[in-house]
Amino acid sequence: MKLARTDLVFMGLAIGTGTLCYLRRGGEAVLSSAAEAGILFLQILPQLAAGLLIGGLVTRLVSREKVAAMLGGSSGIRRLLVATLAGALTPGGPFTSFPMVYALWIAGADAGALITFIASWSLLGFNRLIVWELPLLGVEFTAIRFLACLPLPIVAGLIARWMTRFAVLRLDRPAE
Amino acid sequence: MTAAAIFIWAVVAVLAVFVWRRAGTAGLTGAGRDALGTGRMLAFRLPFALLAASFLVQVVPVAALSHVIGPASGLLGIVLAGLIGGLLPGGPMTSFPIAIVFLQGGAGIPQMVALIAGWSVFALHRMLAYEAPIMGWRFVGLRLASCAVLPVLAGLIAEAILLAFGLGDLQLL
Repeated sequence: MKLARTDLVFMGLAIGTGTLCYLRRGGEAVLSSAAEAGILFLQILPQLAAGLLIGGLVTRLVSREKVAAMLGGSSGIRRLLVATLAGALTPGGPFTSFPMVYALWIAGADAGALITFIASWSLLGFNRLIVWELPLLGVEFTAIRFLACLPLPIVAGLIARWMTRFAVLRLDRPAE
Repeated sequence: MTAAAIFIWAVVAVLAVFVWRRAGTAGLTGAGRDALGTGRMLAFRLPFALLAASFLVQVVPVAALSHVIGPASGLLGIVLAGLIGGLLPGGPMTSFPIAIVFLQGGAGIPQMVALIAGWSVFALHRMLAYEAPIMGWRFVGLRLASCAVLPVLAGLIAEAILLAFGLGDLQLL
């Protein structure tokens, strides 16, 4: 099995925090923490599997080109609404979403739409909500949190647009 | 827990039908291969991430921190929770298990909403590893400035929702 550097980081983290836990709380705390982590792992496994499948399926349905075409304009609140929806539906981790945001930037999306997209992906992302938040924090909390965050990507986009009117914060489109 | 699982697998089934109608069996096996690829990547990391989160809450004074962001802590608690959220390490693998401990430790619901929002928006690790290299620091600066108030707004809206629906004393865990 090939190990990436990130894997080693997580392994190091576990060993480091485990050692700290042993030194501060003793062996019993280490064992009970490990058992708790094991139970949690078993609990999230079915949802995690479903989330991964959803990610794979959604990428077959929505193409990157299609999203770029929808967000390619510059102004208007409708673009921000589309950006919110696109961000919420974009599956996968930052390793898939940021390359996508960069592509949108080159394709001509404005700073407001890009920031709305990122805010929506991180706050409302359907994939993460299903894989992590629902199973771990429960339906009630997830519903309240989702509702509370629903209007925020638009707010962020409007603030970003307002800020880019100042020369210091203006963004130049990257050269392709 | 089971209601969530049923809902998720129903979503999987519906999406699978859509993909099948558009791309046939090849689309389905492709999606499965994608899922397996990501799954294989997580298979090694996730257990260690969960272990680290579980050990971490033994060492970090979560009880004291939970008290600071308790249900009665109000706006100050919401602001602090947003900041704590921004400092939570790693992806959802580590941060959500830590969030559970805060909730069990007695944090208030609006404060927890601010904490999750703070983690979502600021995620230090994600910023350093992906956003800055791809988008550049100027963009990161503009995005942070635009999003700085979001966790606080999220907490306040959550508080308003709880009041509006008479859920002021809702117990979650």
